[in-house]
Amino acid sequence: MPEPMPPEPLLSGGGRVPEDGAIAATGMGGAMDLATAEGETLERAPAGPDGTGPTDRPRSLWSDAWRDLRRNPVFILSGLVILFLVFVSLWPSVIASGSPLKCDLAKAQEGSQQGAPFGYDGQGCNVYTRTVYGARTSVTVGVLATLGVALFGSVLGGLAGFFGGVWDSVLSRITDIFFAIPVVLGGLVLLSVVTSNTVWPVIGFMVLLGWPQISRIARGSVITAKQNDYVQAARALGASNSRMLLRHIAPNAVAPVIVVATIALGTYIALEATLSYLGVGLKPPTVSWGIDISAASPYIRNAPHALLWPSGALALTVLAFIMLGDAVRDALDPKLR
Amino acid sequence: MGRYVIRRLLQMIPVFIGATLLIFLMVNVMGDPIAGLCGDRQCDPATAAQLEKEFGLDKPVWQQYLTYMGNVFTGDFGTAFNGQPVTELMATAFPVTIRLTIIAIVFEIVIGITLGVVTGLRRGRPVDSGVLLVTLVVISVPTFVTGLLLQLLLGVKWGWIKPSVSSDATFGELIVPGLVLASVSLAYVTRLTRTSIAENKRSDYVRTAIAKGLPRRRVVTRHLLRNSLIPVVTFIGTDIGALMGGAIVTERIFNIHGVGFQLYQGILRQNTQTVVGFVTVLVLVFLVANLLVDLLYAVLDPRIRYA
Amino acid sequence: MLLEVHDLHVEFRTRDGIAKAVNGVTYGVDAGETLAVLGESGSGKSVTAQAVMGILDTPPGRITGGRILFQGRDLLTLKEEERRKVRGAEMAMIFQDALSSLNPVLSVGDQLGEMFVVHRGMSRKDARAKAVELMDRVRIPAAKERVRQYPHQFSGGMRQRIMIAMAMALEPALIIADEPTTALDVTVQAQVMELLAELQRELHMGLILITHDLGVVADVADRIAVMYAGRIVESAPVHDIYKAPAHPYTRGLLDSIPRLDQKGQELYAIKGLPPNLMHIPPGCAFHPRCPMAQDVCRTDEPPLYEVEEERGSACHFWRECLHG
Repeated sequence: MPEPMPPEPLLSGGGRVPEDGAIAATGMGGAMDLATAEGETLERAPAGPDGTGPTDRPRSLWSDAWRDLRRNPVFILSGLVILFLVFVSLWPSVIASGSPLKCDLAKAQEGSQQGAPFGYDGQGCNVYTRTVYGARTSVTVGVLATLGVALFGSVLGGLAGFFGGVWDSVLSRITDIFFAIPVVLGGLVLLSVVTSNTVWPVIGFMVLLGWPQISRIARGSVITAKQNDYVQAARALGASNSRMLLRHIAPNAVAPVIVVATIALGTYIALEATLSYLGVGLKPPTVSWGIDISAASPYIRNAPHALLWPSGALALTVLAFIMLGDAVRDALDPKLR
Repeated sequence: MGRYVIRRLLQMIPVFIGATLLIFLMVNVMGDPIAGLCGDRQCDPATAAQLEKEFGLDKPVWQQYLTYMGNVFTGDFGTAFNGQPVTELMATAFPVTIRLTIIAIVFEIVIGITLGVVTGLRRGRPVDSGVLLVTLVVISVPTFVTGLLLQLLLGVKWGWIKPSVSSDATFGELIVPGLVLASVSLAYVTRLTRTSIAENKRSDYVRTAIAKGLPRRRVVTRHLLRNSLIPVVTFIGTDIGALMGGAIVTERIFNIHGVGFQLYQGILRQNTQTVVGFVTVLVLVFLVANLLVDLLYAVLDPRIRYA
Repeated sequence: MLLEVHDLHVEFRTRDGIAKAVNGVTYGVDAGETLAVLGESGSGKSVTAQAVMGILDTPPGRITGGRILFQGRDLLTLKEEERRKVRGAEMAMIFQDALSSLNPVLSVGDQLGEMFVVHRGMSRKDARAKAVELMDRVRIPAAKERVRQYPHQFSGGMRQRIMIAMAMALEPALIIADEPTTALDVTVQAQVMELLAELQRELHMGLILITHDLGVVADVADRIAVMYAGRIVESAPVHDIYKAPAHPYTRGLLDSIPRLDQKGQELYAIKGLPPNLMHIPPGCAFHPRCPMAQDVCRTDEPPLYEVEEERGSACHFWRECLHG
């Protein structure tokens, strides 16, 4: 199942290799999900503009990365797909006429025809229209959940990494607790009692269970950035905490967070669909690919098209975000140059 | 080593308590445990009050939690919605899910590592790009879609497998569901192995091994693989807990009566004792798997010394 | 000659263009002789050595021309399997950073013994005994116990001794040492260098010593080859070069060594930076940094002029340099 932190937020962060081992940096220690793993590669990279502003340094990490990205077909392709998705979510009526809620049982399970290129589903709803309108839900959930998780996680993780001490230990233990709960399971338990049919409970749940992932990345990269010589120098010169954090550390620590968040965005969209498929995510009349796929699965023999089209749209959307994150990571990781 | 294990065991306690308490609170506070006890009918107020007293539901939540955990440690997981003890459900459900997980892990090891090694050694070649693209697609297609599609193709269209698994859930029947369960992790294992191999391939000690005049085969198996697989092995180890907890979707698609199925039923019927009981065991499995992985790590990498 | 490198060319194809790392290097080593190859980083000294060993990363590296004769055989025409049997057994290499060059997850005994298992077909037990013997020979105390330990459990000097032991294991005819003491403490440097020189004398091996440290060279080398931008700019017996360099680059290197008798004076430094290997200046590659450069240096690439027997300089004005 596509969890938001595929394949599940693993490993109990504290007491792992970096804390107890003879070596710290080699701590590929244990399992981690792709996003985390690749985010951690970034942490070790000399990152970011150094706070003197990109104008002073024409070849900063970011401008190098941007130069790379512009020439990367994967980035351009996934970027175009995402732009298209955003456009469709904002103005679905431009490419699909009619309402996604207007269904005609007489047309149930009919195949492709004039006005309904994707055919009709089990309730006689136009699959094309519903697939187009479903994009809005997915993009909304994905973007809002990612924003919430990124904000919440990076602030908590960043502060814990910067100040260390008791708060850091407490936060590590708390993230451990969240990592021990399987995501889909948590979603089932928490959302099964929610009766609201808006997107907010789903987004809230994702932020609640997703922040530890970003928090761990942010904490790690802040700690790495803190150890950079020029940050030590700034400290020695008497820079204040807030100035160090905002001007020297944050610009360097933000790259891994962005990469992991982009990849996570795709997985949140997949998670929403999974929860909707299990009947605890979004509920009709909200139009969602997950709901449609779930509704189509009993008719899979006779009307596979009702299942395939929303599935395809879902997969393409998730793929686009994951590939975007992948491309950004490649561009930001000087080791791979 | 001994002291390290003890310290890790002690560290597990707050995580265990936190995770189970969290689930306990979710089920109790958010849901209505009484509604589940009366089955599908609505409870009348008098019965409800009596049930509340009987199950101690009128006490504060923390007290309920303590009572429940106390019972769990004496082996009493309570009663499921159909009147069966939860432990009996576990006895039938866990073997099925364990079989499913074993199959998934075998897929991860055999296919994931093989593909990762092949692509890592041929980084940038067509094989590499092809496999990389496939892994991205596998990661992007949600498991329930993969499962439904495989069920449609293999089960319905081509008739290679039975679309739903019998109550015996033998290894043979679980092969396709196991593949579905493994699919996303499989793609990660491939990518992780690939990255690890490609990184280590450029390392100084591999160059030394070549300079020693070792045959390519020996360089790869003895020097490159040994080092590159350390993170992969640890990933797969921690994945055990995740797979067992994440089997809900797969079990639902193929109608497998394992842990996920029982949990799903428990959640639908808001049966606290089933849900919390199963989750408690899953959290334990996850924590123990993580501990074992940490210890395994020390065996694989002599630089790690636990104090 | 034990090893003769003739007009070797190596280039690296990268995303940004082709880097010409080695551009016509010719040098040779006799049995029992020590050749020091001197140069800044990026001068092509290590790449040449890797080409000789056959451990160049290909791609991106590519040998585009030249011959490497080892005991009369042209290594570049050998099949990979034959080439492999030469590596380790007949020529061996010592790397700069012993910690990263030794496999972290195998015991040093395994790594030493591996040489005998692979090349001599010994049993693991015999190979282990050989490993202990080797460790004794490079004077690692308590070899019998330490043979089971892992590289990270040794000090830097001890690790480099293990690298040396590994290179010596099969008593090869040629050893290439790539900056063998650079990563070590100064006090340990001398011991390790001494050990290397001693073993070389004992086994009558040819030794190529790659370094940027002129101090090390003076003590142990017989001949010196100075490299710049992938070419040899001066090649001479060691005492000649110290007496009077015949190339302005060599002179610059020698002048930049701090000397006690010049205390108080400003230290000399060669101006400018080493060239970008993707855009090597035309003519003499050194001309932008050369204090003696004339117009001819910007257009004509100097050949390796014969200064005297056994001595060459790739400078149009070697005479002026030698006497001025």
